[in-house]
Amino acid sequence: MKREHNKLKFYSLLMLFTVLLYSCTDLNIEGSDSIISETTGGGFTGVADPASSIGDLYNSFYSNLESQENLNAMNVVTTDEQLIPTRGADWGDNGIWRQLHTHSWTPAHLFILRTWNDWNQNAFRASEIIETSSTTAAEAAEAKWQRALSMYHIMDVFGVVPFRGVDEGPEVDPKVLTRTEALDFILADLNDAIAGLPSRAAGAEAYTASKEVAKFLLAKVLLNKHIYNGSGSADNADMLQVMTLVDEIAAQGFALEAGYFDLFATAPDSESIWTIKSSIGNRIWNGMHYKMTAPDQSGGWNGFSTLAEFYDLFEGDANTNYVGDGQEERRGWVPDAGNADNTTNFGIGFGFLIGQQYDETGAPLTDRQGNPLTLKKQFPDIVGNDETTGIRIIKYHPVNGAFNQHQIAFRYSDAHLMKAEALWRSGGDPTVLVNELRTLRGAQPITSVTEQDLIDERGRELYIEQWRRNDLIRFGQYTKDWEFKNPAAVGDETKNLMPIPASALLSNPNLVQNPGY
Amino acid sequence: MKFNLLKQLMFFVIMLSGSIIFGQTVTGTVTGDDGPLPGVNVIEKGTTNGVTTDFDGNYSIDLTSSDAVLAFSFIGFTSQEQTVNGRSVINVQLIVDAQALEEVVVIGYGQTTVKDATGSVSAVTSEEFNKGVIASPEQLIQGKTAGVQISNSSGEPGAGIALRIRGTTSVRSNNNPLFVVDGVPLSGEASSAEGSDIGFGTSGAKNPLSFLNPNDIESISVLKDASSTAIYGSRGANGVVIITTKTGKGSQGGLFEYSAALSFAKAADTYDLLNRDQFLAGLNQFGLDATANDFGSNTDWQDVVLRSTVSHDQNISYSNNYGDGAIRGTIGYAKQEGIIEKSSLERLTGRVNANHRFLDDKLKLNAQLSISQTKDESPPLSGSAGSKGDLLGSAYSANPTWPNDPTFNLEGNRNPANFLAYTQNESETNRQLLNFSAEYDFTNEFTAKVNVGYDHSNSTREAIASALIDNAESGTSGNGAGFINDIEVSNKLLELTLNYSKEFENSKIEALVGYSFQDFKREGRNVEGWGFISDNMNQMASALTAAANEAEGTIDGSFQQYGYGPNLPNGFVNRLFPTATSNDLNYTNSAVRSVVGNTFDFTDELQSFFGRVNYTIADKYLFTATVRADGSSKFGSDNQYGVFPSGAFAWKINEEDFMGDSFSTLKLRLSYGITGNQDGLGHGNFVRRERYADPGISDGGDVNPPGLTAVSFANDKLKWEETTSYGIGIDFGFANDRLTGTFDFYRKETTDLLLRTTSAQPAPQPFVFENIDATVLNQGIEFSLDYDIIQSEDLNWNANFNIAYNDNELQDFAGAIEAGTIRGPGLSLAFSQILAGGQPLFSYYLRQFEGFDANGQGIFTGGVDNQTFVGKSALPEITSGFSTSVSYKNWDASLYFAGQFGHYVYNNTANAFFTAGNFGTARNVTPNVLTSGESTSAEASVSTRFLEKADFVRLQNASVAYTVPLKEDGAIKSLRVSITGQNLFLISDYSGLDPEVSTNPDDAGLLNNLPTAGIDYTSFPKPRTFTLGLNMTF
Repeated sequence: MKREHNKLKFYSLLMLFTVLLYSCTDLNIEGSDSIISETTGGGFTGVADPASSIGDLYNSFYSNLESQENLNAMNVVTTDEQLIPTRGADWGDNGIWRQLHTHSWTPAHLFILRTWNDWNQNAFRASEIIETSSTTAAEAAEAKWQRALSMYHIMDVFGVVPFRGVDEGPEVDPKVLTRTEALDFILADLNDAIAGLPSRAAGAEAYTASKEVAKFLLAKVLLNKHIYNGSGSADNADMLQVMTLVDEIAAQGFALEAGYFDLFATAPDSESIWTIKSSIGNRIWNGMHYKMTAPDQSGGWNGFSTLAEFYDLFEGDANTNYVGDGQEERRGWVPDAGNADNTTNFGIGFGFLIGQQYDETGAPLTDRQGNPLTLKKQFPDIVGNDETTGIRIIKYHPVNGAFNQHQIAFRYSDAHLMKAEALWRSGGDPTVLVNELRTLRGAQPITSVTEQDLIDERGRELYIEQWRRNDLIRFGQYTKDWEFKNPAAVGDETKNLMPIPASALLSNPNLVQNPGY
Repeated sequence: MKFNLLKQLMFFVIMLSGSIIFGQTVTGTVTGDDGPLPGVNVIEKGTTNGVTTDFDGNYSIDLTSSDAVLAFSFIGFTSQEQTVNGRSVINVQLIVDAQALEEVVVIGYGQTTVKDATGSVSAVTSEEFNKGVIASPEQLIQGKTAGVQISNSSGEPGAGIALRIRGTTSVRSNNNPLFVVDGVPLSGEASSAEGSDIGFGTSGAKNPLSFLNPNDIESISVLKDASSTAIYGSRGANGVVIITTKTGKGSQGGLFEYSAALSFAKAADTYDLLNRDQFLAGLNQFGLDATANDFGSNTDWQDVVLRSTVSHDQNISYSNNYGDGAIRGTIGYAKQEGIIEKSSLERLTGRVNANHRFLDDKLKLNAQLSISQTKDESPPLSGSAGSKGDLLGSAYSANPTWPNDPTFNLEGNRNPANFLAYTQNESETNRQLLNFSAEYDFTNEFTAKVNVGYDHSNSTREAIASALIDNAESGTSGNGAGFINDIEVSNKLLELTLNYSKEFENSKIEALVGYSFQDFKREGRNVEGWGFISDNMNQMASALTAAANEAEGTIDGSFQQYGYGPNLPNGFVNRLFPTATSNDLNYTNSAVRSVVGNTFDFTDELQSFFGRVNYTIADKYLFTATVRADGSSKFGSDNQYGVFPSGAFAWKINEEDFMGDSFSTLKLRLSYGITGNQDGLGHGNFVRRERYADPGISDGGDVNPPGLTAVSFANDKLKWEETTSYGIGIDFGFANDRLTGTFDFYRKETTDLLLRTTSAQPAPQPFVFENIDATVLNQGIEFSLDYDIIQSEDLNWNANFNIAYNDNELQDFAGAIEAGTIRGPGLSLAFSQILAGGQPLFSYYLRQFEGFDANGQGIFTGGVDNQTFVGKSALPEITSGFSTSVSYKNWDASLYFAGQFGHYVYNNTANAFFTAGNFGTARNVTPNVLTSGESTSAEASVSTRFLEKADFVRLQNASVAYTVPLKEDGAIKSLRVSITGQNLFLISDYSGLDPEVSTNPDDAGLLNNLPTAGIDYTSFPKPRTFTLGLNMTF
């Protein structure tokens, strides 16, 4: 018994110590869930699969550009092109939309923060791909275009652009490029991208970068260069290059195409230079009233409207937009009892929706309170609206499918108007170019194109395509007065830049708040 | 043999340090009321010479002096001394110390008594547990302990419970304490999946503790201060709750116990909403079109979604103390129905607790095995429902003239009947918690213990919305959508401890050293499906499971994710290992048009070394020191280990001669300690990791294959969050402890806050985990009083009162992080709180509402877009409980009240639904909206208008029981019947249903990853429950 006892004691102690020895762990995690960078000293060793990371960065662009919030809100909702009035409780959203339209935003504004975070993050991810040794030359060119686009949006919206090296961890405060430094950086990336990217002819699927996509962005940057570098006036050489770039794009078969609203359907066309795989649902539902429906699709969100003064830029009857009201093609038309149907329009208008709306059978629609759904040009105020105030905009029509992943980001008619503008900025006469477009769109030719005609034409052609803020600033009109703008903001040039988000300032002491905030 | 030598050597040394052996041997048996008492300490007074009784209560001791006095002591019994006087046999019967027996408290890696505890520890035993419908163990001790705030944030069966010990120390999601079940520390992570968004928002995970059968629990200890929790080191910062399950020790010869409960519940309160006539009259009053909005019916939508329920709970157990050991086996089955349609919790549990002693009781083997199956059914409720609301939101706002008909569809509106009929959310969780320990007494002084625990669960949640659902978001209407979330969790524990215990002439030392290793593995998959051929929800769930399983079956080798859709008929497979590659799936399933599946699989480890020394001098001065070094795989190699020390001192002043007999207990306690926290940090945030981004299905069914991306912004400087605690406490008792009480003061400073902050861009992610140089300060006072007002043979009356005050503030924090999302129509992106320095956590940041102007538009101080701190927080300053019990002969009765004071709740439900603006869109409201003076065109901004005082007192529990007198030798040994009422009344000025509330979306639905508190958004109403109980032994 005693012997057994001792044996047991021995074995149990032995077991105890073996277990102890075996169980001591170095606490390393295993790569079962993710690829762990095996680094020494925390350095960056590259992304695991550059092609896959490039793909995911496109997915990020698509989702960033799909939302009605964030960058879209910066570029569209802060302009005369769009107003999201508060309707009863609806679209109050803590004042986030009102502050944008009235130009009374603060550095705490959520969309401003998200825009900053989204596009800086995209830039960093592109840097990681560029700095990876296994990245091919073609992949590097694509990633440089991705970085240029990302940094372009930050430069355009915020002025300064922070930059973080790929091996700099959270303890490093990123350095900050001035707007001029950022401009040079972006131009260098774009030139590298153009050199390394393949050409893509018009009519092909256009979800990724190509030489032409990069050239479009380069033209855009050069056209705005005098704003970014603060020189105040366009440089003739830059303007010449803009025109050359547009001509080079055209040489690949890109051209103006007739049938304005067909461009926003999914069929290939010669205008789409870069199309993004973003659902166009937001673009549709933002513009539709709850009671407007398409088969298998619920009604809209009844929020987004445009200002009367923007609608008045178009020719045609000032108060109705039915067929035959003398409007040009781009203002669209509203189906009425005579032409609403269940196959080509579901009773939902194209372009600008004003006046009594009808369903697919041609019966007049009512709002949710039972009043006639007559969309009105005027608003009582930015708050206190009912469901019917405000003209709505439908550019992507649900008859083409509400869920298509086909949002146009770069379009040739924009390039065409950039060329016209570059010509005008370098002392030429753009009338022929502008009228070429106007004639195609069924608008009356202009005898002699003025500066105002140029910005108005861009508004008419490119409304809600996320360029309005950029255009207004270039034409010095972003600070002009419009309905419901805070009077103190009128003429305030500091509004041309968004504030550095409050939490970004806290996170990086190298950042200095933009003037005026 | 070496070890035997070593042992003898040690013996020799110990003997030397004692006295020389005198030669006389005394033997005897120590008994208690129920027979022999094993484990009784028999000490020769004034020496270090001592033995313990064996399992039959026998002892044998060699005396060192002729005039020896033997001291017999055992926890729970009054100690006794016997002068030997030359006797060779001394038999002793120890008397139960009723007071002390109750006060045995289980502490970390051991047990003590309240009298000897140096830290702040409260124990609640099964007799004192709350009665009635108990879905989860925390509810058993709700309100029983000062400074422990236990909030059922929802009336949903199995819903998560917030448990805060001494305030809220962390700013991240998880402030729950560490739960230790029979020595196995549980992982703080959920064991079931959170609710995915099938078109109406997300919901938080279910309570991970609901797998435990409350009937199996013997006692629950709450360790409140750092001196008692520091032995759990890095997981002690939020306190520790130790759950001990019942053993068969008190049941010689075998005992069956059967208990059954039958419960009836209905909503304790509902909203007063307009009925048909009031609604139509209201529309006319506001000049709205009553005719166009009259759909002919008179439906009480709350009646449609709420119900009266019957639940039952049955347990049968067998226990036997058979001499060398004891066994207890139990089977329990409970089916709890929620008071909202389609909500229920069904639980089947089995447990075996066994212990056996070998080798003269020197070796003790212990096993605790429990298995459980829990089935949850959840209604379409969400903490993050958007403008159209979840089931409750739509029921509150639905037009009362709509018919109660699932097919009734009015564009842009959500019909609750439709919503209820065409959604289904069911989960099943199987969990096994197995725990074996072997304890060996090498000598009288040294005991070693090996403890091995295995906690495994797998959970499947199926959430389905049929194509017949109208007005859902995410393209669900007309297509159907579904999610399957599978989680398998396995945690392994290995613990080795060595105890040393020695009594000296005037002092006693107890020491403990230990090693612990625990790993936490989580793996599983999230599958999403869209576009179902069937609109039968059971068929949809089967089809999605089949599609996912078949798709996975076609894939060779390891993969992270896969998917297919109409736009991607060849599908995709993304693999991480051995190298990152993508290829076609080449599988589609005609029953589900789009499917994506994504897997996860990671393991975290925790390795610890710990020790504790208790030193007692003259039974008056008690010292405790503990230290634990914890290493975690969640940190980089430089910061893996944290060291968490604590010290405590207690002085039993009543033992001092100068005190006389005025106090029966007077003890002063001082404590200091550092504890840590890493909860909520997640896996591998210190190193750069890449994974394929989460896949999704677009509203139109399109699937875009994700690419590789960095998981987080790696921060290799991450380290432990630390909480430094100071405490001082006084325990007092009068009249032989008939009246006892406790005062405690504490201060807790949490520093190096682990917080997800905004990354300094550019960065791979918008947020980065960092240790923030700020402090969360919690300081407070706790007071409790227990009085046996009447003590007599037939009549006993006891009352217990506890109250705690806690003051919380975030200090030295430069940022301002928005939190407390407010949801509802026109409230997207709205928030109500800001995390900022100089403010308590969960401080409201709102517009100041001043009333309505002549046009019925709201007036706000400083304009409509001016939000400020309003000096109010969602954290209660005072929590309190009062309970009293009386027994007369065979009858007994008890009452328990709970109260919380000094905090505010944001009535998000009213903000979202009960406004004139909502009435203007023909949604139903409460009657006050018609007379408030608000215009239908007014915006209901987030403001103080909806901020309300949340003070309340609740009669939480009342019960009456009768113990049936039985013949001594009948087949039935005892029989007890009871009736219990829960949530019987609520005293509160809050205009909503219940101020004790917090609505929880899933983690992704939290603004800036910050937890929410005090926001009432269509919370699951709390039931009022009556339970008939039966308990018999035979």
